Amino acid sequence: MSKPTHLRKTAGRVLLYLLLTVAAIIMIYPLYNGVVTSFLSPSNVDTYPPKLFPIEFYVQNYADALQQAPLVRFVMNSFIQSSGVMMAQLVMASLAAFAFAFLPFKGKQLVFLVFLSTMMIPWESTIIPNYLFIQGIQWDDTYMGLIAPFMASAFATFLIRQSFMSLPRDLYDAATIDGCSNLRYLVTIAVPLARPALGTLAVYSFLQTYNQYLWPLLITNKVEMRTVQIGITMLRDAEREMWAVIMAGVVLVMIPTLVLFFIANRQLIRGLTAGALKG
Amino acid sequence: MAVLTEKTVKEAKDHGRRRGREARHDIAQWLAALPYLAPSLIVFTVFVFYPLIRSIVLSTYATNSIGQMANFVGIKYYQRLLESPEYLNSLAVTARFVLYTVPGVLLVSLVLATLGNLRLKGIAAYRIAFALTLAISGATAAMLFQFLYHPNLGPFNYMLDLLHLPRVGWLIDPAWALFAVSVPRIWLQAGFATVVLLAGMQGISDELFEAAKIDGAGFWASWRHITFPLITPSLFFLLVVTTLNAFQTFTEVNILTKGGPVDATQVVVHEIYRSFYFNGQYGFASAQALILFVIMLVLTIIQFGVIEKRVHYA
Amino acid sequence: MKRAFLILMVLALFAGMLPGCAPAAQPTKAPDQPVKIDFWFAMSGKTGEVVQTMVKRFNESQNEVFVTATFQGSYDDEINKLKAGLQSKNVPAVVQIYDLGTRLLTDLKVITPMQDFIDKEKFDISDIEKNILNYYTVDGKLQSMPFNSSNPVLYYNKDMFKAANLDPEKPPRTWAEVAEYSRKLTKKDASGKTVQYGNSFAFYGWFFEQWMAVSGQYYTNNENGRKARATEATFNNDRGVALLEWWKSMIDEGISQNLGRSTTDTKKAFDAGTVAMTLDSTAALRDRVDAAAGKFELGVGFLPRQNEEDYGKAGTIIGGASLWILNARPQAEQDAAWKFVKFMVAAEQQAFWHINTGYYPVHAKGYNHPDDVAWREKYPQFQVAIDQLHMAPTNNVTAGGLIGVFPEARQTVEKAIEAYMTGTTPTAKQALDEAARSITQSIQDYNDTVK
Repeated sequence: MSKPTHLRKTAGRVLLYLLLTVAAIIMIYPLYNGVVTSFLSPSNVDTYPPKLFPIEFYVQNYADALQQAPLVRFVMNSFIQSSGVMMAQLVMASLAAFAFAFLPFKGKQLVFLVFLSTMMIPWESTIIPNYLFIQGIQWDDTYMGLIAPFMASAFATFLIRQSFMSLPRDLYDAATIDGCSNLRYLVTIAVPLARPALGTLAVYSFLQTYNQYLWPLLITNKVEMRTVQIGITMLRDAEREMWAVIMAGVVLVMIPTLVLFFIANRQLIRGLTAGALKG
Repeated sequence: MAVLTEKTVKEAKDHGRRRGREARHDIAQWLAALPYLAPSLIVFTVFVFYPLIRSIVLSTYATNSIGQMANFVGIKYYQRLLESPEYLNSLAVTARFVLYTVPGVLLVSLVLATLGNLRLKGIAAYRIAFALTLAISGATAAMLFQFLYHPNLGPFNYMLDLLHLPRVGWLIDPAWALFAVSVPRIWLQAGFATVVLLAGMQGISDELFEAAKIDGAGFWASWRHITFPLITPSLFFLLVVTTLNAFQTFTEVNILTKGGPVDATQVVVHEIYRSFYFNGQYGFASAQALILFVIMLVLTIIQFGVIEKRVHYA
Repeated sequence: MKRAFLILMVLALFAGMLPGCAPAAQPTKAPDQPVKIDFWFAMSGKTGEVVQTMVKRFNESQNEVFVTATFQGSYDDEINKLKAGLQSKNVPAVVQIYDLGTRLLTDLKVITPMQDFIDKEKFDISDIEKNILNYYTVDGKLQSMPFNSSNPVLYYNKDMFKAANLDPEKPPRTWAEVAEYSRKLTKKDASGKTVQYGNSFAFYGWFFEQWMAVSGQYYTNNENGRKARATEATFNNDRGVALLEWWKSMIDEGISQNLGRSTTDTKKAFDAGTVAMTLDSTAALRDRVDAAAGKFELGVGFLPRQNEEDYGKAGTIIGGASLWILNARPQAEQDAAWKFVKFMVAAEQQAFWHINTGYYPVHAKGYNHPDDVAWREKYPQFQVAIDQLHMAPTNNVTAGGLIGVFPEARQTVEKAIEAYMTGTTPTAKQALDEAARSITQSIQDYNDTVK
């Protein structure tokens, strides 16, 4: 390669890396700023100019955050809610997807449309009666109230159905001929084979529920029942201008989902985009 | 006149028996499938269909502050919506919000996906950085930005000071507030959108690019003629999803501005929340919620009708 | 194995239901055990601590009733929680609700009026301030027991007055004086940046209501909804416009700092010494005294009126909150709640309350209590609100507006003020008209719902 071309190529490459780095910095910046701020001592936070680089590791903020608001309790509540929804969706979606994928029955199209229609009805349009209903049966401030409305999901059903439909038909036929019951087939064969899709669904539904805001805001009033997303706003209101402590709380709350993301990101991404491409 | 012979009677009986058997067969199939569908259907009925009906009923009643229906008012609340300045404002605000966030997300993710698709060493790390916001919630994003927007202690105004530009009242100035609220939203959704577009780009066969290079096409030409058309399915998907999501925005507004200042960020869902939760007008709020549903439905249909045609399916 | 796993998953799902089931407060009434009741209140910070202290005193002073007091957030948050609780039948026996909730709570018919307890026991309420009782009397019956009452006062920095050659013992009494003093009290530094503002008044709906009252104006028709149910808002008149225009002119002139709607922010600025005068409830007095200690001398004046002659003609509305007993709880709990209420309004408690917060004693004997007298000698600032209370004539203007949608109305007015102050709405008349239209609409909607 001639020298000028080589230089141009390298220059081009450097430029690209520069662009990439700038883009990455911009995307990470808010998170970075939150973390850096969470480690600043009060005298360094309340002053102008704001500190853009980590200059200390004042962990007292984290202790304060945990003291000012029952963050551990909030995280626990969110975990219980998210796990509950996740498991319920896994079970219900697998069951329904099985019926769609393997069982012949009249009106399957119709039922499919019924499922589909629930995706077209935005949550906000039914939230008022749902709120009144949950209040009426005294499920406010309970885990059931937080979990129940989300136990079934058409999106989840379709995701699993997609996976089931890619299983060879002969497998099912052979199994049933051998006397295997539907349920047994589902549990011992189909589910294990659909593990990637189930894994994606599990992570996705867990994340979605963990990040919920409006529903928990409405139906939880008692401090000990609030979930984590509401909890950090409570921390903010309690601490008013103590930004370092507030940021510490925010970081603490983000840790579970960030950890989950780093562990499961490839799985999650692959699973979601497979669904997206097919529309 | 059909001759009633033994044969035809037998055929008729067989036919009937077959029909009966078919019917019993159908019922049997249904019963087999029911236990699998029932749990989901029950949840849907209780939490989606029944509330939808109840919403419609509620929207025709004046309710007291704790949600009990008091007097039938018919379509009064729907008529009110056409004139209510608060509601019309919330529609305008939401429309502007959609116009900020949807193109914002699409553009940002297009750029990031293009960058992330480059064949460079260490690109995987960059991709993770771009996808990071997948793991962040609306509430945490809002809180992070609330500090960034702080009038005195926040980095954004500091950076403006460094550039000798006038400071901005991000969340306090009615002219800036909506923009300020849309930024965390764009940031948040950019992660997911980038991942979707990247997956789309990665699905494009290399041969196409090879062929283009042989024909002398540069980076931009092949991007314009190969990459972009072939990711239009993903772009369309993102368009629909982001638009619907934009209409459902609540969290960022509730955390950052509570609809203010002076209702500059009072998006539709926040207006619904205020109507029933604070003002106790469950009926009026239900009417708003149903109109929201109709708007979203119509928009989606339009998008499918008009834009989907231009999507290039490979 | 897999089936067991499935079963486990389903079990785990329902196990989640157990820890969180909301237990309704159990009223225990074993013969020798005290009746346990719940008390919800909305006082935060130091004031909240004072409440808890008083509750503790009550519990320790007798064996028949045990009160558990829980802080429920701001007044707005608390009333929403109460509404939610009413829907799910999960309410306390006694609750502190702000003045704005009076019409609403009465109409919902979820309370036992205090009048019932008073009549049954022939409890003597002649010592309770008439103006205050007046506020909480609807349809001839006292619905709730006033507990923490306040009116707005002008806080000012005496040191800054001296520095500006103003008499520190003579706070401004009229709007014109406020503007004039503020001009003298505003200081700029070498670069032209303002380092000290003459005043800062938060865009707080309560201030608006008070200013209208001292100008002798009704908030709604039908004499503030007290002669008959209100059907329209009436504050969008000349006096209202004059108020907003005076207010904005000071901001535009740079002598009043625009800190938005939050009194927390104006209090902070005043304590920090960047603002010479501010408006706030007398309930904030104790905190101001403590904040100013060692830094500057604190002065307190009356709420400035538009004209000097207004002082003789009209007065402030009482603000604050009262205690309500909910009828959803069993009679034993309601009776227990009544005992608690009596304790909280007794002279000694009210004196303690006054000294530690600034809310004035509801019970006239409260400020004749030796502790209170001694305190006021040391801190004459505490006398101002009491004098202002006594200056107010007892009529339906000072009784204050009585509408079911008051919380919403107050927010609407604040929004209108903010819109005008930031220039979003060009004229004060427009802003007030818009607010009045919206509130009238809400009032009428509300009246639709009362059967």
